[in-house]
Amino acid sequence: MIRKPLVRSDVASMLFVVVPLSILIMFFLAPIASITTGLLTFDWRLLLTPFYVGLSSVVSPITVTHVGGETLIAIRGFDMGVITNSVLNALIVTLATTAIGTSVAILVGLFDFPGRRLFAALAMIPLLVAPFVNAYVVKLLYGFNLQGNTVSAVLEALGLHVKIGVAGLAGVALTQILSFYTIVYVNVLATLRAVDATLIEQAVNLGSRGFKLVRSVVLPLIAPGVFTGATLAYMLSLEDVGGPIVFSFRKVISYQVYLFFRQYALIGGGGSAAALSLLMLLLAVIPMIFLRRYLSLRYYAMLTRGAPRPLRRIKLGWLGKVVAYLVVLPILVAAAAPEIGIFVLALCHRWVGPFPTGFTLNNYAVLFSEPGVFRGIENSLIYVAIAATAIAFLGFSAGYAIARVRSVVTPALDALSITPLAVPGLVMAFGYFVFLHGIARGTPLDPLISPAVVLVIAYIVRKMPFTVRSVFAGLLQIPSSVEEAAQCLGARRLRIVKNIVLPLAWRSLAAGLLLSAVYILSEVSLSVTIGALGGDITSPNHCGPITFVMMSLIQSPSTIGGAQPQAVAAAMGTILMLLEALILFAALAKLGRRGIVSIAM
Amino acid sequence: MTRIVVDNVTKRFGRVTALRRVSLDVREGELFAILGPSGCGKTTLLRVIAGFEVPEEGRVMFDDEDVTFKRPDERGAVMVFQNWALWPHMTVYDNVAYGLKVRRLPKNEIDRRVKMVLELVGLKGLENRYPHQLSGGQQQRVALARALVVEPRVLLLDEPLTNLDARLRLRLRGEIRKIQRELGITTIYVTHDQEEALALADRVAVMWNGKVVEMGTPDEIYHRPKHLFTAFFIGKTSVAEAKVIDADGNYVLLRIGDVVIRALNHGVSVDDGSAVVVFKAENARLKPMWRDCAKLVGRVLVTMYLGASLEIRLVPHGYNRDLSFYIPIEEEIPRPGEEVEIYLPVSSVHAYPVEGLELVKEILGE
Repeated sequence: MIRKPLVRSDVASMLFVVVPLSILIMFFLAPIASITTGLLTFDWRLLLTPFYVGLSSVVSPITVTHVGGETLIAIRGFDMGVITNSVLNALIVTLATTAIGTSVAILVGLFDFPGRRLFAALAMIPLLVAPFVNAYVVKLLYGFNLQGNTVSAVLEALGLHVKIGVAGLAGVALTQILSFYTIVYVNVLATLRAVDATLIEQAVNLGSRGFKLVRSVVLPLIAPGVFTGATLAYMLSLEDVGGPIVFSFRKVISYQVYLFFRQYALIGGGGSAAALSLLMLLLAVIPMIFLRRYLSLRYYAMLTRGAPRPLRRIKLGWLGKVVAYLVVLPILVAAAAPEIGIFVLALCHRWVGPFPTGFTLNNYAVLFSEPGVFRGIENSLIYVAIAATAIAFLGFSAGYAIARVRSVVTPALDALSITPLAVPGLVMAFGYFVFLHGIARGTPLDPLISPAVVLVIAYIVRKMPFTVRSVFAGLLQIPSSVEEAAQCLGARRLRIVKNIVLPLAWRSLAAGLLLSAVYILSEVSLSVTIGALGGDITSPNHCGPITFVMMSLIQSPSTIGGAQPQAVAAAMGTILMLLEALILFAALAKLGRRGIVSIAM
Repeated sequence: MTRIVVDNVTKRFGRVTALRRVSLDVREGELFAILGPSGCGKTTLLRVIAGFEVPEEGRVMFDDEDVTFKRPDERGAVMVFQNWALWPHMTVYDNVAYGLKVRRLPKNEIDRRVKMVLELVGLKGLENRYPHQLSGGQQQRVALARALVVEPRVLLLDEPLTNLDARLRLRLRGEIRKIQRELGITTIYVTHDQEEALALADRVAVMWNGKVVEMGTPDEIYHRPKHLFTAFFIGKTSVAEAKVIDADGNYVLLRIGDVVIRALNHGVSVDDGSAVVVFKAENARLKPMWRDCAKLVGRVLVTMYLGASLEIRLVPHGYNRDLSFYIPIEEEIPRPGEEVEIYLPVSSVHAYPVEGLELVKEILGE
């Protein structure tokens, strides 16, 4: 007598699976899948034209001109067409961020030297994200312009009559490298902390030191962290719109998809956006799949007996110190400078040339006095409140279901709940537009009728994974026997969740929600695309959130409320950064450092 | 009191078969132990009986009731988990009272029963403590009290003493036996500790590789093991390959190297040629102490002092491997290289058909 395995779970536990799964199918899978519908009539040969794929650069990488007694050096990188630019730029950014992030993590995590804590603090600063303003300050500090940037002014003061700066794709790349290397840094550092110290101590014990130790033992052990960080940096580079907008470099995929919302969404057209979205999706997801496969094969760093011991840092030799102070420290300072510059810009009257002028608090006053600007803050707070409430229910359900409910569809929920992290926001935005404008035209789900509703749904889906993973990780720490003990005493599923699971797992839920909330606040891709469909910031009833307002201010040519619009954006950016710092700190306290890095990244 | 019948139960997890046509019959009011090495399927079997797993084949009966598809709480079987599964956010009182609150008993009745059961397990006065404020032994008692308070038909204990130190384990197993006798609840006790199983249980089922290989009283299991695995697993044992010289229904005459010994016969015939011999090595002596003795002569390879006993690794004459024997420490200690005679009662020497050698190799991971 052979029985089919029964689905044993009661109705309540199936709800934990079915509700989030249905939402993900409806508002994640369906929109992504619908992108392909626009491609049936698309002429793919278009993507092979020089505008998209070029064989050689149409700009020279560096131009040097002499004007008067001055030398002007503009570093522009290259321009080989939309697709080539995006891919090459992402690869360059990945290589650079991986090299810098890994080096700094090893330096700070493995070695001891005077000033180590300063290095660690500097490396964390770019984790605070102020979209658009960050790129704007990079442009002020390092960007090429005829008035000269801050670096050139410093060189001038040193007696060098040279104006040097980045422009075009090189500016985009520099902006991305300076802020994304931190992603690699925190991932590598977290992996390094999880490595059993005895593995490294054994090598030291056998006489391995310095570079040899790093190359032969440390690097192989932290490779999973390096690859995870590199993949994330690659994806962030691919979908970044802030850099291209600020440096006015339109020939990357992200900008082209963004343009669809600026130019074609309302009037129709822009057929290549679907193809580019799909291409972007493939470019983003394929490395992610390889990473997952690779990570599932490599966990030997933890394959030692007994509890791992924390590492005692090794004294850094003189050569190491020279490299640390003369090479690494300047890079860390250069990367932290834009974030510090944002605070300066927020407090100054005007900053367009090399240095800021005048101190003022007016930029903060404008945040509240200008209706269009304040509307953005209101919108963000409302969106976060609604989305976080929904995420609390859906994210908890999904996390609980993945950890506890055995059913044939649970693996699907497991995979689907994490995938939104791997899909670029711009692709999602495009998918939402095509899908909902298609099937729900004229209803409150049509992004042209009520962009706010669609934006909140998109936030929920895109930022729920943080809560799902946090709840899931929290539940892994709780043996399922505590629930089974209640079950065999007669408690039903909902009662067990209320009496046993929530009291034990609320910290993970809270930490996950905080992360989801902070990433909603700083979300860019959906905010500047779907968020833009409700009008611009001159309209007091627009639907854009904070990041949309920041983008609008950064692009604005005229003063607002008597203030420089970019400085107002910076003021907004500082509030956002403080909020991020506060929330990340709170989540850190709830989860412990290791937990947060694995979830946040 | 409830009788439990497990009838031909098979349980698979994906490609892994955890239980293969397992059958058990646990009598009313009995304390029944399931004994086996880790990974043998004993906890899975307990979870099938508890209702946490549904078998692909077979059924579980409580008295005349088929409970195979019933939820754990519908069966009236309560489990005490290996990690005790105490709820850290609840006091001792709340932990114990939980099952009664779920059953919506009146408050004074809950109070009365919680007090009674806490007294029974010796935790009176600790009602307001949280689990982290208790010692390991006290936590274990809370887990037991929480299960007993709902007056279950069946009590299921999954290695409940594993996380305790040796001294406490001895004391608590005595208490568990006493409480079980007092309440007369049919109890199944899962353990990998053979001493615990033999000391506690009315009857023992020995499991290996997803199967119940043997069932019997502790005495039968220890002294008259029918299955090679039982003989090998219970007690300190040594295994050798031997040539069969002669055999009848009860005994078999064997040659290990050049040494001839007599052993209890478990299905060996002269035609087999060879056999596997299992010695209950802890019963060995350096002098003949029994009328019916098996004698092994050989050279001492090494000796190891174990406190109460001495381990001698002996290479029997003409044999290519060493065998371990354990003799009481008061005996004269032989030196390595010395020639000695080792004696065992024939009842401690069991011979099985040679096919069993593969099984032994598998268990030893060779």
